[in-house]
Amino acid sequence: MRTQSKLYFYLTISAVLLVIIAVWSLNTGVYDFGGRSAFEVLGKVIAGDTGLSLSDKYVICDVRASRIVMAILIGSMLAVSGTSLQGLFKNPLATGEAIGLTSGATLLAAIAIVLGGHFKQYLPEMVQFSLVGISAFLGALLAMMLVYRISTSGGKTNVVMMLLSGVAITSIGFSITGFLIYISKDDQLRDLTFWNMGSLAAATWTKNIILTVVLVISYIILVPQGKALNAMMLGEKDAEHLGINVERLKKQIVIITSLMVGTCVAFSGTIGFVGLIVPYILRLLFKSNYTFILPLSTICGSILLLIADTFSRSIVAPSELPIGILTSLIGGPIFIAILLKFKKSL
Amino acid sequence: MIKAHHISYRHKEFHILDGIDISVGYGEFLAIVGPNGAGKSSLLSVLANEVKQGKQNIVFKDKPITNWEVRELSQHKAKFSQHNSNDITLDVKDVVMMGRYPYFDAQPRKEDLEAMNNMMYETDVFHLKDREYNTLSGGEKQRVHLSRVMAQLQNDIAHKLLFLDEPLNNLDVKHQYKALEIIKKFTQKANSAIVVLHDLNLAAQFADKILLMKSGKVAAHGTPQEVFTADTISKAYNFPCTICDHPITNNPMIIFG
Repeated sequence: MRTQSKLYFYLTISAVLLVIIAVWSLNTGVYDFGGRSAFEVLGKVIAGDTGLSLSDKYVICDVRASRIVMAILIGSMLAVSGTSLQGLFKNPLATGEAIGLTSGATLLAAIAIVLGGHFKQYLPEMVQFSLVGISAFLGALLAMMLVYRISTSGGKTNVVMMLLSGVAITSIGFSITGFLIYISKDDQLRDLTFWNMGSLAAATWTKNIILTVVLVISYIILVPQGKALNAMMLGEKDAEHLGINVERLKKQIVIITSLMVGTCVAFSGTIGFVGLIVPYILRLLFKSNYTFILPLSTICGSILLLIADTFSRSIVAPSELPIGILTSLIGGPIFIAILLKFKKSL
Repeated sequence: MIKAHHISYRHKEFHILDGIDISVGYGEFLAIVGPNGAGKSSLLSVLANEVKQGKQNIVFKDKPITNWEVRELSQHKAKFSQHNSNDITLDVKDVVMMGRYPYFDAQPRKEDLEAMNNMMYETDVFHLKDREYNTLSGGEKQRVHLSRVMAQLQNDIAHKLLFLDEPLNNLDVKHQYKALEIIKKFTQKANSAIVVLHDLNLAAQFADKILLMKSGKVAAHGTPQEVFTADTISKAYNFPCTICDHPITNNPMIIFG
């Protein structure tokens, strides 16, 4: 019982922190509201003040607020997907980027962007609309299944195989994406560059609604699996002796993480290493206890991405730094730190 | 309790288990002994429903073991594996608490915490409860897992079954006896245990029945007095031995060489 209240304590603290950062982020930016603070303007928007200029309203609602919400949603999903993958592969190095999930998603999304025009009219309307998103999901799923097949046999994951197959998938993705850039037209090129760098600048409320739906469905299934992921550390057979339906759990993680990573890539491009950094920090505090780090990654992922995004749009104002650069800058050294720690056991 | 008929298991072309019949009754302590590579661990694995290949004819409590629901089954039987994972970055108490996972959803109940604490006392790991599992010695890790497995079967269900694959590895003499006493106490409450053991004298002292295996077949099955004869043992192990009565317990005592 004590452990449970400890979890709620940390969840509350991080939620409060997230709210504070969101408030700070809302008030950070280049646009000038004529001397007023962003909160004043937001208050007026909520109160339905008609005296508000359209551009003020637009900046608050459709630029900053929607972007903040998108950072929260995407950061959270990337962190949770990273944590679940680490549970599945029983290794803190497993993340969407390291094992090629992100590249798979980016590759199929890029194909959909560049070649989509040629076959789009043959597809049903619903699919046409979300072609990029569906392709990204399929790309992530294919990469995931490939890596899992290659690196895991008899319930044991070979970490070297896992990382190397990630490298292989990433390089295949890289070369095909490069080819697509070579043959693409101007406007497609802009889209492609956006994918590779990652950005939350294209946030809209429609996208946020879709992200929220994906997030809720995924979390209902994944977040209560902390116990099961702990048990997986004993090995798959022993987890099954503890009443865990291992085959079902593995399928759930494979499909749901692909769905989350695919959706995130479709809406914000490649924002690397969030799924590595967040669980790494949480592991320093809670060891590998997934009953803590899985629920806490939901909020800590948001915190990390929101801070990174606010920096990325204010550090070189009025221009903007691609957010993927920032997260990879933190993620790279952490990846090396984990490698060093595992030097003996790899 | 558990009945298995004609169990076979092959890996590539090699027969690891070849047509084994086995049946364990309520309250029985069965020790599986035999030389290296006899198929002891494989047999335990198949009985515990770990091997999914092929159709194995195993009936647990009058119901084919594959028809049991995974979570329900985990409250009736538990298994202690030989090769325990070395890399678990959790505190000892969290590892032992895993044994209670079949019983609660998000939040351990009072009886889960009690079961965890009781078993940690019994296996003598209570003083280690806040240590990180990875920092323990081999023998201490074994005791933590014994504690976890025993905590898993702390419930009101009658007739539970425990599988243990070489539970005495790395344990010192005192803890070897302690572990066997815990298992013996468990079987005295009408539960059953199937234990792979290497030490024949300990098997003779604690087990009700002995299953002697050689090359994937049953070489002998019966009470310690029936199985532990100089002829059977020296044939199975290909090594000369003498058998006399244990001066205190009167069980057969095997002296090799």
